[in-house]
Amino acid sequence: MQQIIGNFIQALRHHGLPVSPAETLDALRAVQLIGLQNPQRLKAALGMTLAKNLSHQQQFEDLFEQFFQLNQGLLDQTSTQALPSAPEAVTSDADQPDSPTRNSALSQPQDTPDQEAVKSPLAKLLLDDNQTALQMAIASGGESSGASEMRLFTQKAQVSYRILQQLGDRQLTQELSELATDEHQLNLVEDLKQRRQRLLEQIQDYVEQQYLLYSQKAGQQLRESNLQKIKLTNIDHSYLHQMTKLVQKTAKQLASMHSRRRRLSKRGLLDVKKTIAANAAYDGFMFHTKWKSTRVERPKVMVLCDVSGSVSRVARFLLLFLYSLQDVLPRVRSFVFASNLGEVTEEFTQLDLNNAIAQIMDQWANRPTDYGRALVDFKQLALKDIDNKTTVIMLGDARNNNSESQAGIWREVYQRSQRVLWLNPEGRYSWNSGDSIMNEYAPFCSRVEPCNSLRDLSRILGSLLKHS
Amino acid sequence: MLIKHQDKIGSAETIRKNFESLGYICSESIATAVFLACQLQKPILVEGPPGVGKTELAKKTAQYLSSPLIRMQCYEGLDEAKALYEWKYGKQLLYTQLLKDQLGDVMRGAKGLDESVERLHQFGDIFYSEEFLETRPLLQALREEDGAILLIDEIDKADQEFEAFLLELLSDYQVSIPEIGTIKARSRPIVILTSNNTRELGDALKRRCLHLYIPFPDPKLEQDIIASQVPEMEQALRKQVVGFVNQLRQMALKKLPAVSESIDWARALLLLNVENLDRQWIENTLNLLLKFQEDIEVVEPEINQLLQKMRQSKS
Repeated sequence: MQQIIGNFIQALRHHGLPVSPAETLDALRAVQLIGLQNPQRLKAALGMTLAKNLSHQQQFEDLFEQFFQLNQGLLDQTSTQALPSAPEAVTSDADQPDSPTRNSALSQPQDTPDQEAVKSPLAKLLLDDNQTALQMAIASGGESSGASEMRLFTQKAQVSYRILQQLGDRQLTQELSELATDEHQLNLVEDLKQRRQRLLEQIQDYVEQQYLLYSQKAGQQLRESNLQKIKLTNIDHSYLHQMTKLVQKTAKQLASMHSRRRRLSKRGLLDVKKTIAANAAYDGFMFHTKWKSTRVERPKVMVLCDVSGSVSRVARFLLLFLYSLQDVLPRVRSFVFASNLGEVTEEFTQLDLNNAIAQIMDQWANRPTDYGRALVDFKQLALKDIDNKTTVIMLGDARNNNSESQAGIWREVYQRSQRVLWLNPEGRYSWNSGDSIMNEYAPFCSRVEPCNSLRDLSRILGSLLKHS
Repeated sequence: MLIKHQDKIGSAETIRKNFESLGYICSESIATAVFLACQLQKPILVEGPPGVGKTELAKKTAQYLSSPLIRMQCYEGLDEAKALYEWKYGKQLLYTQLLKDQLGDVMRGAKGLDESVERLHQFGDIFYSEEFLETRPLLQALREEDGAILLIDEIDKADQEFEAFLLELLSDYQVSIPEIGTIKARSRPIVILTSNNTRELGDALKRRCLHLYIPFPDPKLEQDIIASQVPEMEQALRKQVVGFVNQLRQMALKKLPAVSESIDWARALLLLNVENLDRQWIENTLNLLLKFQEDIEVVEPEINQLLQKMRQSKS
């Protein structure tokens, strides 16, 4: 039983359900209590201990059906023993993984007239018409051929071939060609060939199911970790959707990492020290009570995003990221610019994220960049709101089309704010080349970072949260 | 906990049957959850749309096991002072004032400051002893001799740090009070947490709980529920009620009618002596099912169609 549950959990993990060892133990204990007689109840018990949110629950249910059906398949045709229920039957058979010979020996004599004519074990097995034994043989063949370790769908054919070899296909084909020379055995040969074809299909089905159970997700995990590293400017359009999800996932990780620390406050305890101090004047009579409270210092963040041409892709993700962080950073004000600068905080709060971004891009992007002009606008809009708790994040490549830089304003921003971060989607080597005027702004930034992948974004924003 | 009720929690089937006789019709998974929670001594985290009987589950469990139900309603800003314990500051202050004179007696004859302080120390932390401890629901549940059912309602409304604070309680059934020390449960309570999913709960909390999702019941189960709650109702009408509510749940509404709404509706229809659901009756009583004017406006023009669909799905 442990084996079966263990395999099942393995399959769940492959599909992205985070099952911890503690939960595995819970599941085992639950199964011990519940027993295996009632599949419905078994499903409820396992679901309760292993799948802890709604989407996982859905996945769990699909997998449960798939997994136990697959294992049930081994026993569907069991004619010799009437077993009370599928899962239990699975258990009893899983204890003897190498039992195909035993099973075929046990099976009732079938109506197979030519059994003596064949010598190879596979041919005997096929003629025996014992589905259970066949399934068991496939399963044990699959185990040693590494069916549960497939990672890529291209491996499927290879694994099927290996299973077939394991079962003794070589002997069978040899025997078939020998028998083909014998006129009397033509019927038998034809029959065997058909049965072999059916076996092939069964093996392919089995491998397919194994692949779906164990490996399909591995490819996706690989893709996700690659997407983390890939340059945001190079991401193909078809991945945008997936990327959006990934951004939200990463943002949520950050949020849950920092939200607890951010809100360390509001303790409703009496502050004895302060109370005594405050009442010293009243001869120890406590007129005024003082309560413990620590002020929460959530960072105020202002983001300026260059949304022109090359930067827009990255800007899109930065904005997405920031707004997925709402929980920790409730006071984000965002500004976008190409030539003129405007505040877009409203759009984000009113529209849903994708619409908001689409609308912003539509309205502001596609104009020649002018940092000087944008900074003048920014000064009018928001300079007075910057105080020593504000972090200003600029995202842009500082390519200014050779116009005025207005670095003076940026200097003012730097002096008033707590911190200024400049994220540049270009690598360091291309700064200050062409019309890039990074060196004019760089002195007035607390940090200047190249930022062109999701990993960079999450690292930089993570440190922003940590230090504020 | 609750050794004396061992027979009551012998199997999920027993629990299901007995809950039924208490008027709580539950699905297989609910019964399994209660069974496992009792046997494994693990908290249950119940999620599901409002009105499917999450809180009721805790109440019925308490009734069934005849142990006290201690309920803690969560809200934003809930902290340990309100959930776990607080010192009775007023009493402390009052006592210090009252005992001022006594102190004079105690101190009499003490030579020098050192000796006075020495004597004071002998009294220990009188003011931070159990006498001055105001117990709140969580502590109360731990101190209950025969165990209790602790209902932590709408945990998703509490802050995240409160959730973290619960972890010690949920896994070890103990809490730490700095001035007194660690308090262990006298008898482990059965903890039921409910959540309406207004925010995603932390993984650490979920890992410690059995996760039970109660969806809207299927029509068959819902009919049983109404039959047990409103036994006077004719079966035919009951079927219509459930059918119609189920049709409503297919629609995109702001708040879908839950079980509690269908029970209310069934009661109302019974009071009004309705024998057959028709457009007129539905229009007049729709506000029992739908709690937003917008929803009612969406549904009203569709009533005929819904009725038709309902009849089709039944046949």
